[in-house]
Amino acid sequence: MVAKNANDLSAHDYRKMYSMMLTSRLFTQKVLELNKEGVLKVGLHPSTGQEAIGIGACYSLSTDDWVIPSLRTMEAFWAKGVTVLEQLNAVIGNSGSISDGKESFHHCGYPELGIMAGSSIVGSQVPLAAGIGLSLKNKKTNNVVICFFGDGATGRGDFHEGLNLAAVLNLPVVFVCENNLYFQTVPASVGMAINDISDKAVGYGMPGVTVDGQDVFAVYDVVSEAVNRARNGDGPTLIECKTLSFLGHYPTMLKLEDIRDFKENQRWRKRDPLEILGTNGRDKKYITSEDVELITKQVTKEIENAVEMALQTPATSRESAFKEIYKNPFGEI
Amino acid sequence: MRELEYAKAIREALFQQMGVDDQIVCFGEDIALYGGLWGATKGLQEEFGSERVFDTPISEAGIVGMGVGAALMGMKPVVELQFTGLITVAMDPIVNTAAKARYINNGSMNVPIVIRSITMSANNVYMGQSLEAWFTHVPGLKVVVPSNAYDVKGLMIAAINDPDPVVFFEHEGLYKTVCEVPEEKYEIPFGKASVSKEGNDVTVVAWSKMLEEVEIAASNLESQNISVEIIDPRTLVPLDFDAIARSVKKTGRLVIAHEAVKVGGFGGEIAARFAESEISKYLKSPIVRVGNKGVPVPYSAELSKYVVPSAEDVERAVKTTMDLPKA
Repeated sequence: MVAKNANDLSAHDYRKMYSMMLTSRLFTQKVLELNKEGVLKVGLHPSTGQEAIGIGACYSLSTDDWVIPSLRTMEAFWAKGVTVLEQLNAVIGNSGSISDGKESFHHCGYPELGIMAGSSIVGSQVPLAAGIGLSLKNKKTNNVVICFFGDGATGRGDFHEGLNLAAVLNLPVVFVCENNLYFQTVPASVGMAINDISDKAVGYGMPGVTVDGQDVFAVYDVVSEAVNRARNGDGPTLIECKTLSFLGHYPTMLKLEDIRDFKENQRWRKRDPLEILGTNGRDKKYITSEDVELITKQVTKEIENAVEMALQTPATSRESAFKEIYKNPFGEI
Repeated sequence: MRELEYAKAIREALFQQMGVDDQIVCFGEDIALYGGLWGATKGLQEEFGSERVFDTPISEAGIVGMGVGAALMGMKPVVELQFTGLITVAMDPIVNTAAKARYINNGSMNVPIVIRSITMSANNVYMGQSLEAWFTHVPGLKVVVPSNAYDVKGLMIAAINDPDPVVFFEHEGLYKTVCEVPEEKYEIPFGKASVSKEGNDVTVVAWSKMLEEVEIAASNLESQNISVEIIDPRTLVPLDFDAIARSVKKTGRLVIAHEAVKVGGFGGEIAARFAESEISKYLKSPIVRVGNKGVPVPYSAELSKYVVPSAEDVERAVKTTMDLPKA
């Protein structure tokens, strides 16, 4: 499959992208609301403000391609076909979740959908993606893997080793950095002496591109070109998407106002990825106000239904904790 | 039967298994063109091609991380970390990714990787470390510590075929040692100890290169009419505790010897199992552990001989359990 150019996207594509981005937005809102009300004890790493990246990037993948999300790439799950109910079950960690409560939703793997589980160690997914690429190259199926990570990951040794290996071995990997300008509580300048992460690509001998992470079509264009290159055996690419997490790293624990200038957030909120998509769609007459209303209704309904079902789903059983450590268990070591 | 060196037995296992399973790939530093510093992967690239056998940059976290990623996709990587000191750099992909992947995916994914790590006894504060106990502490990993050429071949084939991640500790000091090794393919199942020598007075548990020192000690003690039974667990996870318990029931005395530092070493775990078990009532005297005395293994051979446990240390420990005067 050859990924298209954003100009070739149809009205259907626009609405689908909008719907998935809105799903992230409202899903996050709902989980945080339920947490505030005390219904849910868990929070999440919100992608609010960053939704264009995961959708724009994954929209160029075919079903047999792989993705390894960062802790914030909620959109990769929707784009690969995970349902709202599955994700909510995973947030809660109940028996309906794919990991049976053993891992939080942002690190859940869905192997049948081509989603690899990451880990909580920021940047550890980068060499892992090289390994996925190695296996895809070996299978000679022309499939690719997109690896998502944040700006914080790029200071780690894993980032360097993973990109270097992918370049040296010419692996079909697209590295997508969600540069949201903050390492948890500190500005990225604390850990980076450069402005553009894409500059690092030159050191590995692969193309590096910086793109507006608020614009889903800009992301789509750049990533689909990189995906095509990887599919054709032309190796990896590093793509940096400039963005901001509107709600910060982990809002149920860290207060945004302790970390960040209010005005900066206001400035970025004027570049809301949903509005950018909406405006573009209206200009092209692909999305009307009625479409937006209808999609909002559908997504809201889907989330409400999922909440109702997930809250009725039983907790995982005690036995689950002791299962799947080894294929053939042998008791205490 | 034909005799074969330890390093060549590893090589034979890789050749035989790669020949029948095209999902096996080998990579690491210096393993392809040169064939590994001790020749354990010599000729593999010529035979199986550079897509399956290749050299990597000096990149231990990347080697293991990439190996784990490939293993999650169904490949069976055998990766090499040239010295045990280097394994510290790759702890994250081993501990946080490989060991947890089956669990967090609730069994729908697994990591059939073999991580070869090479231990040395002496002359290097970094490379002379025996770190096997660390990995026994992480659920999800299996830990293999072969002591001879016969075992290393059968355990390597079992490790490659194992669906879970295996940390495979080879020993530089054993690479040139020889013993009878069948030419055909065979597996040694994990969790099955071998009785290296039968005896009646004291059980000594030891693995990897420590076993050589234990054998010397046993033969010295034999001439003093002390009969030592030697148990080699071969794998620490899973551990064949029953084999050790059976032996202690017979001898009533237990010494555990390893090159690793005594504090926090796996000998402590075995001793603790006895403390918790009914078997402890068969003990006629307290358990004695032999291990590195808590010193980085120094560069000077003259110095390192005081630090790495020797046959004399084992002999002394055996005599302690028998309440005999020590030389």
